[in-house]
Formats: sequence, C-alpha cells, structure tokens
Amino acid sequence: MKKRLAATLLASAMVTSVLSGCGNKTDGGTTEFSMFITMPGSEINSDNEIADMIAEKWGVKIKETWLTGQTASEATGTLIASGEYPDYIDSDDMSLLVDAGALIPLDDYIDQYPEFKETWFTEDEWEKFRQPDGHIYWINPFGNTMGESTATTHNDEAFWIQVRVLEWAGYPDIQTLDEYFKLLEDYVAANPTMEDGTPNMPYTILCEDWRYFCLENAGQFLAGYPNDGSVIVNKANMTIEDYNTSEDTKLYLKKLNEEFNKGMIDPEFATQTYDEYISKLSTGRVLGMVDQWWDFAYTVNDVFKQQGLDKVGCNYVPLGLTTKTGMENRWHTYDDTVNQASGVAITVDCKDPDKAFKFLVDCAMDQELHDLRFWGVKGVDYDVDENGLYYRTDEQRMNWADTSYQASHRCQYSYMPQWGGTSRDGINANKPEEQPSEFQLDMAEPLKNCFAAYDCDTYPDMIGSVVETNGPWFPMYSYSNNFTTDTPGGVAWTKMGEVKHEWLPKVVMAADFDATWDEYMAKYNDCKPEDFLGEMQAILDTFK
Amino acid sequence: MAREKTAVRDKKITWKEIKRQKFLLIVAFFVTVYGFIFYYWPLTGWLMAFQDYKPAKGLLHSQFVGLEKFRFLFGDPEFLRVIRNTFCMGVLNLVTTTVMAILFAVLLNEIRSSIAKKTVQTISYLPHFLSWIIVTGILHDALSSTGIINDVLLRLGIIDQSINFFAHPKYFWPIVAFANCWKETGWNAIIYLAAITAIDPSLYEAASIDGANRLQKIRYITLPGIKPTIMILLLMNIGNVLNAGFEVQYLLGNGLVQSVSRTIDIYVLNWGISQNDFSLGTAAGIFKSAVSIALIVICNQVAKRAGEERLF
Repeated sequence: MKKRLAATLLASAMVTSVLSGCGNKTDGGTTEFSMFITMPGSEINSDNEIADMIAEKWGVKIKETWLTGQTASEATGTLIASGEYPDYIDSDDMSLLVDAGALIPLDDYIDQYPEFKETWFTEDEWEKFRQPDGHIYWINPFGNTMGESTATTHNDEAFWIQVRVLEWAGYPDIQTLDEYFKLLEDYVAANPTMEDGTPNMPYTILCEDWRYFCLENAGQFLAGYPNDGSVIVNKANMTIEDYNTSEDTKLYLKKLNEEFNKGMIDPEFATQTYDEYISKLSTGRVLGMVDQWWDFAYTVNDVFKQQGLDKVGCNYVPLGLTTKTGMENRWHTYDDTVNQASGVAITVDCKDPDKAFKFLVDCAMDQELHDLRFWGVKGVDYDVDENGLYYRTDEQRMNWADTSYQASHRCQYSYMPQWGGTSRDGINANKPEEQPSEFQLDMAEPLKNCFAAYDCDTYPDMIGSVVETNGPWFPMYSYSNNFTTDTPGGVAWTKMGEVKHEWLPKVVMAADFDATWDEYMAKYNDCKPEDFLGEMQAILDTFK
Repeated sequence: MAREKTAVRDKKITWKEIKRQKFLLIVAFFVTVYGFIFYYWPLTGWLMAFQDYKPAKGLLHSQFVGLEKFRFLFGDPEFLRVIRNTFCMGVLNLVTTTVMAILFAVLLNEIRSSIAKKTVQTISYLPHFLSWIIVTGILHDALSSTGIINDVLLRLGIIDQSINFFAHPKYFWPIVAFANCWKETGWNAIIYLAAITAIDPSLYEAASIDGANRLQKIRYITLPGIKPTIMILLLMNIGNVLNAGFEVQYLLGNGLVQSVSRTIDIYVLNWGISQNDFSLGTAAGIFKSAVSIALIVICNQVAKRAGEERLF
C-alpha cells in the first residue's frame, strides 16, 4: 500500500515536471516570452489564432500581462521589490528599472542589426535613449512613420465634442472655451435626454491617477503651446515656463468652476475611476471632454459601432480651442514624437535575449508580420483588390471591433515596435485606421456629414493645428517622467503632482473660486516648484 | 560526561524530563525557528532605513546615510498629516467597533429564542468574511449619487440634491468607521458572547429574586462580568491603532480626499514602492512599529496601576 502511494506520488511529480517543462518551450522551437506593460489592457486567449500563426513562422509567442488594480509605478515598484522580472517589460518608470539593474543593455544587439538601427531611429534619436551610464536599455515602439504620413486620426489631446451637438447647432465655428461651453449648455437645454431617454451629460473630466492630465494640462494648449506636458517652452528666449500658474490655466479652471456650479459638469468627475469613465462615455451620453485619442477612442468607438450609437452621431471630433479667438493652436503633433522616457526593454531574467531582441527587430522590419498584427489574416480579416489595395467588408470591420473576436483571433502585440504611415508596398497604410479608403468607409453618416460641413477629410484637418516642426527637446515630459526623488527637482515634481491631484478638482468644485485658487497657489508654492523648473531649464539649456 | 553531570545536578531539567517532553520540545523548536525566520530575520531589512538603498547594490553595498531619511520624514508635512489620519481613524475605528460589538453582544444575549439568536448571530458575522474590495464596492454603490443612501435622503426631503459623499473630506473618516463597524461588529461580538455565557447563572437568579429588572441585570452583572475580556481586547487592539487600515482607505480614497484618507501604510507604498525609495518606506515603517510598541506598553502600565487585567 505504502509502495503504491509512493509510486503514484513519484509519477505525478514526474508528470508535473514534464508539463511545466513544456510551459516555456514548445515543439518546433517556439519560445514563449512573458511581457508586462504598465497600462491597462485586455489579455488575448492563450490559443489566439494569429498569435499561433506568428509563433509558427517567427518562433516567438508573447504572453502579455497588463496593469490591473495598481498604479503603473506601484506595479513597477513591486516587480523591483520582488526581483523577478518578465522577459519583456514596458514601464513608465524605466529609470527605476535601470537603477535596480533589471534591464540588459541593448547597444550590442542594436549594432547587430544595422538595417534596423538605421531605419528605426536617427543617430540623434538613438542618442536620446542613452542613459547616464552610456547604455541604451529600451526602444520606444511608437511614433515612427514609414513613407508618406497617412495620419487620419488626431492621436493627441483635444477638447472633444459629439458630432450630434455640432449637427444640431448647424456646424458653428467653435474657437474658444466660452463658445464650447455655450454650445454644450444650449444643446442640453434643448435636448435634455438622448432618444432612449438617457439624460445627456454635457461634460465630464477624468482625473484618476496619472490620467488627470485630462484636467491638468489643457492650459498649455489653450495658450497655444504644444504638448510638452510638464512645462511650457518659450522658444523666443529658450526659457521654461510653468503653465500651472499661468493666466490661461487660471481662466480655464475658472471656466470649469463656473460650469460646475451651473451643473454642466459631471458631479462625480473627481471620484470616478477610468473604468467608470469609459463606461460613461460608452453609453454615448457624454457630449464632451478633454482627453487623448488613444485614451478613449479605441474602446469607445468600437462600442459605438457595436451598439449603433455611431449612427446617431455619438462619435467625437476634436476642436482646437484656444483662450482667445484667432490664435494658432498646437494640439496636434505632426512630426513623429519620440518619447525617450519609455519603451520596450528586455530584462535580466529573459531566457533568451538574442531571440527576444530578434523578434523585436522582426516586428519593426518584417512587413508580413506587421500586416498580420494590424490587418489580420488575408482573405479572413481583409481582402485585396486588383491594384493591391487592402479593403474590408462591413462584416470584417464589425468582427475586428468585436471584443471576443479580438481575444480569440486578433493579436497586435501592441507594445512591440510598429509603424504608422504607408507600408513597404507603397500602396497600403500600415494600420487600417490610417488607410484613407478604409477610413472613409468606416465612418458613420453623421461623422461624414460633419467632416463635409467643415470641409475636412481627417481628424487633423478638423482640429486645424499649425504645421510646425518641434524643437529637438520636444516633448519635455519625456525628461520629467524620468525624474526620481534623488534630486530636489524630482522631490518637488512628486509633491507638485500630489498637490495638483487634490487641489485641481477642489478648485473646479469650489463655491468661491478666487479664495480656493489662492489657497491652492499657496500649497503649490510650498512644494518648491522652482527646484523642478530649474532642473528642466538645465535640460533645455543643453539644446541652446 | 560533564554535561550529564550538570543535568543530574539541575533537578528541573533532567534527561528523563527532556525525553518525556520530547514531542513538545520538537514542536517548540519548529515554532522558534519559524518565529526567527519570519519575525526576526526580516528585521535586518531595517538597515535600509539608515542607507540610501539601491536595489541594484543590495543591502550590503548601499551607502549609509545615518538619520537622513528620518530627517526627511519628519520634515515632510505630508508625513505628519498621515500620522494624524492613521491615529484618528485608528481610534475612531477602535471606539466604534468595540462599543458596537459589546452593545450587540449584550442585546443578542437578551434574546430568549435560541433560533432567532443563532440566525441573527450568523448573519451578522458573515460580512467579516467579505474582502475589502467587495465591501468598498458595495459602499461605492450605496453612497453614489444614484445610490440607496442618496435616494432615501432625497425622498425624505432631508436633502434637495444628491451628495457626492466621496468628494468631501469631512465624510471620509465616518465612512471608514461605518464600514469597519458593518464588517466586524458581528465577528467581534462572538468573543463577548462567549464571555457572557461564562457568567454564573445563579448571579442572575439571585438578582431576579432581589427584584432587579433587565437593565439593572445588564448594568450590575453582565457588564462587570465581561469587564476583564473587554480590558484585554482593548489593550491588544490599542497596539493595533496605527494599523488603521490600508485597503479601505486605498480603495475609497481619491485625489480630493487624499489629505484625510492617506494612512502610514499608503505613505509607505507611495514612497517605498511607487517612488522606489525603499529606505524612506522602511523608516516610516520603523516609526510605526516603535509607536505601536510604546502605545501598548503605556496602556499596559495604566491598566496595571488601575488594578485591571493586563497583558504582561
């Protein structure tokens, strides 16, 4: 009896070890890598069809895990504290990972692939990624355009408004914040509810965790500056200015305060989570907000399409608002933005760094892989006409937007290197949403009418920002994002963030705006913002 | 040989005695090892508080900075605010949960029907097994602008506009205290109920003969009867005052109420994990432990002076 028990135990132990051995490497030389991304996202199924096709041909399968429940920096901190890392990592706190010795230097690997090195970044751009110790540890997967830019979306921040509001008002010219809120007020007064009886909500503000930029940084854009994120750069005399205390920001918050007290702004804006915010937008009842396109559009537009809300004009279009009429706006970034503060890195725990890096290069350099990730399977997800142009049927487009199909079939590896612009065949866009023909077909009637009314073809036309090349320091947030509390400026930056998190919503909700603003400014100045601004100025001075 | 001799000389510990207690000694050995590994060995990590700790360099090679981190800590108004929050919420929770638990146990004890008693008791302690994430979810729903609380208040005409409870710092501590009460009252009452059953029934009979009514019996028999239990539990919980909680404040808090919602534990998380300043987080943790030990010693002494039950 005892013997039999021992034999059973032994056998099961062997089975377990054999099975767990299979977990990492499967037959045919496929390596399974893990990847952690400090962003919320949806996991794909383990038997995802395109992931398996990629694994078969390129020998790599990535198990992506996303942020859940924690903030990005907590998740990174927890990884560092545990000392165990996934194979790939994309974090907002790369400098912490470097400090912890968690990443492997990529310089030698990059030199092994000269073609990749040349096409992906310019020499200057690579230099920006070099850390103080002389190594490059990560590669930003975004913001590269191949060939001619086909940007149809405004993948940036804006004051968004639903097309049904513009349609109702006869497509007026909206240039300032006052006009924007006047329009929202008038619309709600005339249409308190949607067709199905859901009350319309004129305006909401997301201010959870790092996403509070939706409340925090509109001041810089309203003043006509581009998205340097943490500061304003005055090009005339190359100085750093603080938009937190600027007159434009004060006017903007005063306006929000006025509208809040009129009941135009979501009373729960200050306490809502990102999930609550997205589900609010997905009902189609929110008429306007400030946000980045990538922060809401992918999820919300898919839902609109599935629910038929795009047919009643719930889609959002961007407005390039400024403090005064007739000012130039810089909401849209035309050039590729290289954010050297973050990107994808390979950790010291990676089982096969050579293969991991090779796959990273494949993602950027192999058009077939790129098409598989972003267009899907030929003949299933898209078809090709006689001129080689990719197109999709309504059904294919509907599938592509369906979440369960996304989990079982679609595999974008969305934090691996990717291109915008025109693909290597010179005909198609690298991503379907940038394919002009696709873009037109994908648009619902009200959105098309709106674009036609303003004589626009694309979202960037709609927002109408000045075409201009940004300075080599742009964006300044890519420097401040990597500040740590080792320097006085970093401590100030952390404290400023905490004060703003508390006081910006307070100021908006205040009964007495001016008194609360003064109180806020006193708290703000206690954080010694001058330390932070000084360090930012020192960085800017290196570009003089 | 020598060892054997001493063992013989010392009458208390003989080899025979050791053999007889073999099993107990083995168990005690493992417990000691367990305690050392999991309670005392990790304390070496306190070294971090006196270093500028860098994970890449490790504990052995990080630079020592003396009391620098403590200086930063006590110079940070945020930390002082966090101490206040932790302490106030801890005391508020302790007082409300203790009072509610005793009240509940005494009332429950007065119920004659044992089925009703058992049913109420079972239902009342079930929330104890819910995790905080669920409790805070329920609270979020109940207290939202369209939730049941606002609904009732609106219909009763007490307010004319929904209150966003989570946006006002003044409501935060009461909400946390309420959540703790709701979750733990039934559970905490169990121990008081057990203490009440241990009271000699003849006391109640004698009191009845002397003409005592129910309230008088509670006042003069039940409460004095469970006083030792109350004192011991209170003493043990005072050591826990600074453990005012992490989950509930973390999950219910938001930017607007952060000045009252952050506890020491959240501060440690923010600096230690998010900002990766392990040293500062450790320093804050040491401070918390030191205060907790001090509190428990002081209270124990006070109890000793007052001639009450005490821990040590």
